Amino acid sequence: MSFITNVSKQSPWLYRINAGSCNGCDVELATTALIPRYDVERLGCQYCGTPKHADIVLITGPLTARVKEKVLQVYKEIPAPKVTVAVGICPISGGVFRDSYAIEGPIDKYINVDVNIPGCPPRPQAIIEGIAMAIEIWKERL
Amino acid sequence: MFEMMNTLELKVILAPLILLPATFGALIFGLLLKGVDRILIARLQRRIGPPLLQPFFDIIKLMQKQSMVPIGAPRKLFLALPLLGACSMFLAIGLVPIPGVYEPSAQFGDLLVLLYLLAIPAIVLMLAGSASGSTFGAIGFSREMSIMLAYEGPLLLVIVSVAIKTGLSQGQFITFSLMDIVQYQQLNGSFLFDPWMWPAVLAYLSFIPANLGIPPFDIPEAESEVLEGPLCEYSGPALALFKIMSTMKTIVVLALGIALFCPGTNTGMWAAVIFVFKCSLFFLLTKSLLRASVGRMRIDQAFLFYFKWPELLGVVGLLLIVLQG
Repeated sequence: MSFITNVSKQSPWLYRINAGSCNGCDVELATTALIPRYDVERLGCQYCGTPKHADIVLITGPLTARVKEKVLQVYKEIPAPKVTVAVGICPISGGVFRDSYAIEGPIDKYINVDVNIPGCPPRPQAIIEGIAMAIEIWKERL
Repeated sequence: MFEMMNTLELKVILAPLILLPATFGALIFGLLLKGVDRILIARLQRRIGPPLLQPFFDIIKLMQKQSMVPIGAPRKLFLALPLLGACSMFLAIGLVPIPGVYEPSAQFGDLLVLLYLLAIPAIVLMLAGSASGSTFGAIGFSREMSIMLAYEGPLLLVIVSVAIKTGLSQGQFITFSLMDIVQYQQLNGSFLFDPWMWPAVLAYLSFIPANLGIPPFDIPEAESEVLEGPLCEYSGPALALFKIMSTMKTIVVLALGIALFCPGTNTGMWAAVIFVFKCSLFFLLTKSLLRASVGRMRIDQAFLFYFKWPELLGVVGLLLIVLQG
């Protein structure tokens, strides 16, 4: 069984949820940090379009009141075993939007967050380290 | 919210299929080709890329995951479809001759049976898209149907051209036996080097990207706009079966192209090595370079493109063959 687990952990598929982010962290995820420039594909990662294919969930944004229900529903559609990573300071504490009337976060009131990557936006190296930690956690759950 | 499915159930169904040596070899070869393709694309984009065995890791990983069936989807149909698609391709690989290595028995079927088997993955994807009950699946369904209408014409014309060319030389009008076609070329030289056949060769080359879902024709399974369309609601082992189906389809289409246009005259070990080399070359030229260099067309552009050029090439090729005969 440990052989299968060791093989499976080399194929974590990433899914991005934007919970009302300002788009800063999303740009980091989409253009520099992950696939095109620093290349987490060497860890076997690949972006998938739908939550049904995902293993590691990257959540950005402070969870605004408007998207809360939808984010929670999409999160439920991700098949087990899954790992949750909060990218940027917003999902962790609310960041500059903290105490706003429009914010329902921090996100760990509703979802178990496994890895926090603080920063506004975090550096690509930090994001990659966070994903490497998430892969180790994911391996335990397989 | 979701019903869960016993992954063991699927593994038990899959085991005998995978244990057949020929299909097992084709599957391994297909997955290796896919790994090479991903590394090549990464290198073209100045990245390091995944390990060579990445497609194997993906399949094994998907087997470990939970399989979900959406509410409102017909459960049995939803889970049977990937199995049906994968089975059709496992059967199809048994019908394609590998020149000098493997000759399928004539009683299993000929080119026409293969043509129908090649249509099954597209039909399975259409049904999967509509059975999943998702909007993205429905869009994938309609796109898959349009693109299938567009590429089936050129494929049929190519196959008929080759069949008439071989048939005329044997005194009949047409022959659909793949072994006859291969033997004719081994005696009289490959069709690839016959200028009269070049329109048909070009039509077959342009049929490949639409059938295999390679950019610019990966419109039904576009992951950024329709969330992989028909595959949107599939997860776990069912998705793994779809991945296996598309890998096998790649090998079937490549092997069919080699049997139709350039079977070698070698035999034994050497023929197998040459076959693998031809497949890889063909695959890297038609798939990887195309995938790395173009964006995605709209469905109406792709449909018009297929009705204009490959269709025209197919008709011209067929006329040439008939006139020549």
